[in-house]
Amino acid sequence: MGQELSQPDNSAGAGREIVLSAPREAVAAQAIAGQAIAGQAPSRQLAELPKDELAHLAESLGLDSTRFKTQQDLVAGVHGRRQLIAAMDRQAMLDVVRWGRRPVTINATKEQIAQEIARVRSMKFGGLSHRGLVVLSLLRGVETAEGDPTPLVVRRLKRQEGIFSRMNRKRRAVLGGLVASIVGESNPAPDYQFLPDPNAGDGNPAVAGSARPASIKDEIEESGLFGGISNRIKKSADQFLNQKLDEIEGRIDRKLDEIDRRLAEWRDKEIANRIKILKITLWASVIVGIFSLIYAYVTEYLVRPH
Amino acid sequence: MHVDFFDFFRWVLGTVVTIYATVVTAQSLYGWYVYLGGQERYVSLMRRYIMLQGLRLRIKTFGGDTLICILLTVVWILLIRAHQLVARIDPYPHSDGSRAVTTR
Repeated sequence: MGQELSQPDNSAGAGREIVLSAPREAVAAQAIAGQAIAGQAPSRQLAELPKDELAHLAESLGLDSTRFKTQQDLVAGVHGRRQLIAAMDRQAMLDVVRWGRRPVTINATKEQIAQEIARVRSMKFGGLSHRGLVVLSLLRGVETAEGDPTPLVVRRLKRQEGIFSRMNRKRRAVLGGLVASIVGESNPAPDYQFLPDPNAGDGNPAVAGSARPASIKDEIEESGLFGGISNRIKKSADQFLNQKLDEIEGRIDRKLDEIDRRLAEWRDKEIANRIKILKITLWASVIVGIFSLIYAYVTEYLVRPH
Repeated sequence: MHVDFFDFFRWVLGTVVTIYATVVTAQSLYGWYVYLGGQERYVSLMRRYIMLQGLRLRIKTFGGDTLICILLTVVWILLIRAHQLVARIDPYPHSDGSRAVTTR
């Protein structure tokens, strides 16, 4: 299943190679996404991007583009972040995705997973594995080693958040609690499920799922009052639409099965009818043949001409 | 001129019915051939669906009737052969060699 992929480290210039393990599909997707222009180094491609696109790319990878003064710095930052992501353990990244309940496919590339992780703003680290915590802290720009104890990593993450951000988060949490109590939401969140593979095409509902956060309170805490409520409304609408689409799909499937069954019945009936006609014709031919034979025998042999 | 009306009816009926059945069958087959030979997407779909329906057909359902049809065809062929044999029967005694043998 796993496949090794060597990636040259061009920024260091020392010819160092990062060896990472990734599934075959992910490797193929990376190869397609990462090598848009064959024969050119990634940094060269990044440098050719417009400034706003580069800034957007940096933001999507969890970097603060305003901290980089020149475009060259930003290119170096994005390249460094990509290398950091490539060196990460994929399973640890998936741990963060499960914990953060972000919508990804099981065979998503590391960069896609990292982009989803960068959108996770939660500071409640309960349920997150240690390796996931390390990955999260690295992507949030906190210097962490694999061997660091969990409380230390959590403390560094909280310190990195900043006072105002923490205060804002607390305020949002209180607001979220109020809204949750008004709405009366008490349903526990279902288990996390990965999104179905878009290339599979079967749309198996058994693996399809949504990355719904645990509660509206958490959502408001992460995205603010309006952001949280609008996200919840959007997701509810999506769920409603998906449910309706599933119902319509099921109805169409049932109708198609019914048509198929009726066609098979019609086919059997038609063939049986044709065989019956053939049989009647053959019976008639044989009976007439027998009569004809008797007639010929009688006229030719028994009734002799004198 | 002696006309055997039974023979006449039999041969005329046989000829007309055979030609009619052949023409109608050929027309139908040609129509299906032209329709299924199309390159359109839905025609191709229909072609594959008909093939699928053919593959899903259970021989066992029609096996008895088909066997009866085969046996009746065999009987019919034997009857034709019997007709030929009856036609060769010489109704005249020709032990003296004075009369010709009737053959048809």
